[in-house]
Amino acid sequence: MARVNPEFTDELKKYGAFDPNACYNCGNCTAVCTLSDEENSFPRKMVRYSVLGLDSEIKTSLDPWLCYYCGECSKTCPREADPGELMMSLRRWLIAKYDWTGLSGLLYKSLAASITAFVVLAGLVVWFGAYEHFHLETIMHYGHLFEMFAISIVFTFILLPNIIHMWWLSVYKTGKKAPISAYFKAIGELIVHMFTQKRALGCDDNQFRWFEHFILVLGYLSLLFTTVFLDWFSTQSMFIIVLGYIESAVIFVVTFDFVRRRIQKDQEISKHSQPSDWFFVIWLFLMGLTAFLVRLFIDTNLLDANVWMYIVQLTVLVQWAMIIVPFGKWTHFLYRSFAMYFHRIIELSE
Amino acid sequence: MKKKIGVYVCHCGGNISDYVDVERVRAAVEKEDGVFLAKTTMFACADSNQKEMVNDIKEMNLDGVVVASCSPKLHLLTFRAVSERAGLNKYNYVHANIREQVSWAHSDDKEGATQKAIKIVEAAIAKVRHAESLDPIKVKATNAVAVIGAGVAGMRAAIELAEAGSEVFLIEREFFVGGRVSQWDNLFVSEESGKELITRLYDEVMKHKHVTLLTGAEVVENSGSVGNFEVKVKITPRHFKLQCNPGELDKAIEVCPVEIPDEFNFNITKRKAIYHNYPSEYPQLPAIDMKNCTRCGECEKVCTAVDFSQKTEYRNIKVGSILLATGFDPYEPKKGEFGYGEIDNVVTLPQFKRIVHYSKDKLMYNGKEVKHIAYIYCVGSRQVDGENKYCSRYCCTATIHAAIDVKKKFKNVHNYHFNRGIRTYGKQEVLYDESSRLGDIYLQSFEHDPPIVEKVGNETIVKIKDILTKDQELDVAADIVVLVTGMTPRKDNSIGNLLKVPKGRDKFFNEIHMKLRPVETVIDGVTIAGASQGPKNIMESMNSALSAATKSFSLVASGELALEPTIAEVNEDTCEWCGKCDEACPYSAFEKIEKNGKFIAKVNPAICKGCGMCLPVCPANSLNLIGFTDEDVEDMIDALLPNT
Repeated sequence: MARVNPEFTDELKKYGAFDPNACYNCGNCTAVCTLSDEENSFPRKMVRYSVLGLDSEIKTSLDPWLCYYCGECSKTCPREADPGELMMSLRRWLIAKYDWTGLSGLLYKSLAASITAFVVLAGLVVWFGAYEHFHLETIMHYGHLFEMFAISIVFTFILLPNIIHMWWLSVYKTGKKAPISAYFKAIGELIVHMFTQKRALGCDDNQFRWFEHFILVLGYLSLLFTTVFLDWFSTQSMFIIVLGYIESAVIFVVTFDFVRRRIQKDQEISKHSQPSDWFFVIWLFLMGLTAFLVRLFIDTNLLDANVWMYIVQLTVLVQWAMIIVPFGKWTHFLYRSFAMYFHRIIELSE
Repeated sequence: MKKKIGVYVCHCGGNISDYVDVERVRAAVEKEDGVFLAKTTMFACADSNQKEMVNDIKEMNLDGVVVASCSPKLHLLTFRAVSERAGLNKYNYVHANIREQVSWAHSDDKEGATQKAIKIVEAAIAKVRHAESLDPIKVKATNAVAVIGAGVAGMRAAIELAEAGSEVFLIEREFFVGGRVSQWDNLFVSEESGKELITRLYDEVMKHKHVTLLTGAEVVENSGSVGNFEVKVKITPRHFKLQCNPGELDKAIEVCPVEIPDEFNFNITKRKAIYHNYPSEYPQLPAIDMKNCTRCGECEKVCTAVDFSQKTEYRNIKVGSILLATGFDPYEPKKGEFGYGEIDNVVTLPQFKRIVHYSKDKLMYNGKEVKHIAYIYCVGSRQVDGENKYCSRYCCTATIHAAIDVKKKFKNVHNYHFNRGIRTYGKQEVLYDESSRLGDIYLQSFEHDPPIVEKVGNETIVKIKDILTKDQELDVAADIVVLVTGMTPRKDNSIGNLLKVPKGRDKFFNEIHMKLRPVETVIDGVTIAGASQGPKNIMESMNSALSAATKSFSLVASGELALEPTIAEVNEDTCEWCGKCDEACPYSAFEKIEKNGKFIAKVNPAICKGCGMCLPVCPANSLNLIGFTDEDVEDMIDALLPNT
């Protein structure tokens, strides 16, 4: 027996949900959705749970992650209840629920909090630069150290516990008893989806978007590897230098296109942008661009005279690593692929 | 006996001729006595054939016509009209049904069907041989109408009739006009209150000098028939003089020691034996309810307008037609039905609306603030096991409208609608849209699995297996449970019994034909309007009131009525009044009169419907039905018997 909670939609609206209450259960969204089958009424079930405020049902469900937002449901909805955007909001809500620190929820719901966080971090970087008398080599040294520490700390203390929390909610709590072997059998699913987002290919007319996203992920991951482990900014290897240029260019070109689409709102997926979406694409764009410029300044011997360029790059990096990666939209990279992994585990347990 | 009978056998496209050999039928009846002409036709009802029939009748001077085709319900009047256009009295036309009774019924036996069709046409020919020209019976009609019930429907009808030029007697049993609508606050879609609507109608009623409004009045006797009804009205006095000082009145109400549940507020409040419905009720004069008054005399001491000397009056009124607009009773849930009468915060929708009316800043019930409201739909309507199979039509809209009003009037209120499918038809659909966008929750179940209301500790829990959530069990802790009660027929059917107005399956007054004659009853001259006929919203009640007013007016307006001549007649020579015919007659058309030194039966031609119920019970065989005499019927039977 579950208790109906009409106040849940008010909470959900803070994460961007449009108007799930407008739903009159016609089921057009389910009819048009390629994910829907006889067992699982996609996305109507989630719409219904949202309207009724059955938050424990939603919390333990992986459904929002299985949707890749083709937007057909929103186009078909006669009540303009926008089920596609509801699924998006549920993903934001789930990110907030998985996060043990509670900061995700705070940043999603409060633009002021987000801006404050960005400003404080920028201030800290500048303060640190001043503390080191804007000595380029020292700052770059610590910058590189930061990259490595940030990755390990964020992963160990935020992302890993959150993924375990997600597993706890969606696999353990639902009572599905999966044998250990299932966790190994399903690992391929995790790898494939993490690096290819194969599932998005299943959405109609989505091939180009999928391709852009695919090379963006590859570009991002390889740039991360190139800067952190191949030490791109200090390397002398021509191959690595050129590789870094290409990777950073891919990032800012593709994200530029993403930003353009969000401005033009020409597709269902890019119609509604929450601040968290803007932060994500803009910071990714800035990451690519500033990294590219820093390396360009190095190669043209301009950086020594223009320390501010590196400071800017470091600021963007710190904000990215401390806000967007652990508490923002970056996490969808992990949750989406782990959702596919857990989903497969549940399938194997049945 | 007819000598020149024309017979037309219809193919009805292939509806008849696919199974009945119409050519053989034609050939078989061609040789019958008196048949002058026998034809087959593809569609007898087609314009071309009608024209041909008119020519045949005129040119060949046919004196009787038979068409063998579909049911007389469909085309009897069509071919009667053909006869009339050809100058032949329409009672010389006889209809034979060889479609519904033959081809459709015996599609598996073509030979048998053809034989049966021949017999049926022969029987029709046997009848038409005896046919006589008949003229309608003319009856004088009084240009006055009694409208029973001064709710919205009755008042609207009264205004319409008065404007058309009839004398109107508007008879209301209560001391105040307005009926149920006066009890509602805001109404969809105009957002006027029920009281405002009543005020406007009442003002218009009072403007017409041809409307006589009688309150506290009940029809107790009725005689006569269409055109000339005589009704006796009992008028209970208000025990108040027309001039009444408001200050004195307030005191009189204050001192009255009798307190009874106030029906105007559906018993959620109490009133005194001296009462008025709301501060500006109509007529604006209070009344003393003598059923509950103890005659203590306290009010007389403080209010000079109180007058216990007023006596019950009787008035005889002559009218040509009676219009019934007696309304409905809200369904009263049984004790324990969804916790009604057992759990203290379970109320009906009418009660809830009065609770909302009396709540000011906060919605309060039983001293507690109400935040969560559960509405359970279709209580007393669409019953699976009970008698009320019908949908009460108004309730989905009324509930959603009330829910929206509550949400707008009070903060942080949550509405939960436990429904069986929402029927906010027509323009009312916008309400459903508005309410769901305001965040109202709709939960749905099938009729065999209704929601359950129970008390758990201090909470009232409503449980449902929600079919919109894959039968998931859900519950709501409700501060108040509102049973959305439907409309039921008036418990007191005295007026219906008096006028012998039949009731339909749902026990509301029954019309003759739901689509074609929606406001007439089988009692000539008695029309029905509003929710007395079945559940209606205000708009629908207005429509039916205007329609009934027009029908009643059309009966009385010309001062004369033309009635069907095919009625019973009494053989005065052989009749010795025994009263059997009077007992058998469903319409009370018989009268006992004295003639030539003996008592005999007399038929009132304005009441008799020609149903024939009296004929078989007459021991002296002194009754005959014009157009269906014993001779006619015996010859028809002879024709139908197998050839010997």
